[in-house]
Amino acid sequence: MINLIERLSALPGVSGDEDAVRSAIIHEIDGIAPWRVDALGNLIVEKKGKKTPKNKLLFSAHMDEVGLIITAAESSGMLRFATVGGIHTAALIGKPVRIGTDGITGVIGTKAVHLQSGEERDKLPKLEDLYLDIGADSKEEALEKVRLGDRAVFDSSFLCFGEDCIMGKALDDRAGCTLLIEMIRSELEYDCAFSFTVQEETGTAGAKTAAYQLQPEIAIAVETTTASDIPDVGEHKTVCQVGGGPVVSFMDKGTIYDQELYRLAMETAREHGILAQPKAGVYGGNEARSLQTAAAGARVLAISLPCRYLHSPACMLKQSDINGTRELLMALLPRLAQL
Amino acid sequence: MTTTMELIKALSNAVGVAGRENKAAQLAARLLEPYGKVETTVLGSVICTLQAPKQGQAHLLLDAHLDEIGMIVSYIDEKGFLTVSNCGGVDRRLLSAAQVVVHTKEEDLYGVVCSIPPHLSSDSDKVAKIEDLHIDVGLSGIQAKQRIALGDRVTILSTARELIGEKICGKALDNRASCAALIRTAQLLEGKELPCGVSILLSTMEEVGGQGAKTAAYQLMPTHAVVVDVSFAHTPDAPRHKCGDLNKGPMIGIAPLLNKQLTELLQAVCQREGIPFQSEVMGGETGTNADAIAVTGAGVKTAMASIPQRYMHTPIEVVSAQDVEDTARLLAGVILSGEIA
Repeated sequence: MINLIERLSALPGVSGDEDAVRSAIIHEIDGIAPWRVDALGNLIVEKKGKKTPKNKLLFSAHMDEVGLIITAAESSGMLRFATVGGIHTAALIGKPVRIGTDGITGVIGTKAVHLQSGEERDKLPKLEDLYLDIGADSKEEALEKVRLGDRAVFDSSFLCFGEDCIMGKALDDRAGCTLLIEMIRSELEYDCAFSFTVQEETGTAGAKTAAYQLQPEIAIAVETTTASDIPDVGEHKTVCQVGGGPVVSFMDKGTIYDQELYRLAMETAREHGILAQPKAGVYGGNEARSLQTAAAGARVLAISLPCRYLHSPACMLKQSDINGTRELLMALLPRLAQL
Repeated sequence: MTTTMELIKALSNAVGVAGRENKAAQLAARLLEPYGKVETTVLGSVICTLQAPKQGQAHLLLDAHLDEIGMIVSYIDEKGFLTVSNCGGVDRRLLSAAQVVVHTKEEDLYGVVCSIPPHLSSDSDKVAKIEDLHIDVGLSGIQAKQRIALGDRVTILSTARELIGEKICGKALDNRASCAALIRTAQLLEGKELPCGVSILLSTMEEVGGQGAKTAAYQLMPTHAVVVDVSFAHTPDAPRHKCGDLNKGPMIGIAPLLNKQLTELLQAVCQREGIPFQSEVMGGETGTNADAIAVTGAGVKTAMASIPQRYMHTPIEVVSAQDVEDTARLLAGVILSGEIA
């Protein structure tokens, strides 16, 4: 499973430009279950199980990642950009990126620390003042290599480290995509639909249309969520723990989840001896809010991997959490189907 | 140029944070061995004698510092998170979510600098003090304390890569780009008769005070020195008047402490041999090893040539391979001119 996460993590797939990720996922599931690509670019998979469920189920994970979009080239050869999805300025400075389908290397530089005033050293520059250097000496040279509108992704390394931990870019939500692929490859007790969605990070456009066309009774967002179990964060703001198992949400900034489903998920984990944790804090949001309100609506649940350093070049996950989440999803499936 | 590019990349990837330069020193020694006797000083600097000076002959020292900035582990907490201090001038603004390597005695361990989660940092543009940062190595407190020792150095994970136009981006190009220029100089001089004594010094601990160059210069007592370091190449956010430009050749230093004749010789060699150069004028100290080398013993006639560099002290420093090559051509030209006496 880690190998697949690594391969998917490496692919560029900033919102609205998820083609490479979609192709890779199709490659993984082709011949196992029928699939189709919808108007927005969502990959929809409907897999037959042994039985027809009472409730139509949809498991959804987004393919897109946060990144940059090139907005201008300047006479100096430097590029300007906007962020796609929420990226903190601090995660950008001093980082290399890969631009466009050719993966042109660029760096987000900053003037040397020697040239900064004391005040500047203690304050992040404004996002709009950052620029991207690909080594071009003129606007023309830059535009030979890069087009306006090209996306850029973090060019970081995928690393296995510490005690069974992994880190890399775009684990939000390629880890979720991997869990769905694993489910599709498994023998399922009930028929299930799966959506690999586009543009979650920029407003969940993909989830809206995927849920509309599939009209599930119950939809489950398979995601990553902020684990703040790091030094200097108050206990009440920790949200969840890496190593604490799958995270089940009762509420976030976008969704109030179905209470019965939330309780069922926690109970199922307990009964199966799977370590799980509630999302202890109303923070963030995901595409569940759109799955919930498409067409006539669906009951929603979010099962997430606790992830440190989300939306950075180094999202961090723990393998035991990934395994636990897979187990919980499989254990939940028949119970949700027959609820 | 391929040779120069590969040389720069290999040196950039080598690890050698101030005070623990041994891995970079080993690589540099191996690269210099074909060109002269190589030795290591008490403080870890690498000296390669291209030609020992004869009695009464001039002795030119070419210096570039070998060390890079980085961090040093100062505390390990109960949960396995590391606290660090800086070795040299670290830009704290770019540390958030940076992938790092902790270099222990036994192994290299990966980690990441903790970043404040989005729900806690919505509008904050404040940059944490170095002592308030934490490094996550994914280990429990017990494991971390077993495997990591206080004093271990930490670098930001960054592999050298090429940009358009034979530019190279990577960590530690301050000052490995200059180390590459000196090794290239040795290569250009190979098999040539040298009119004076020439020693190459790749010195340690420049980023924390210049102890390596100070002591090695004392040991060698040269008559002349050219210090090669990096200097600022202009970028959109930097003051224009304090910067040179990338790809426009070495920046020849002009400062009170720097020897006028030797500086003019550098300029003359550039003009004679068609090597592009820029001037870098400094009103006081140079902030480089030149400050210590010039006042060694009874004094050393010292000049400076700097390689223009963008984003100094970041993991994505950028230099032009052409500038490195031009710097090597300049140094070889200065030596072969026979005008050092």
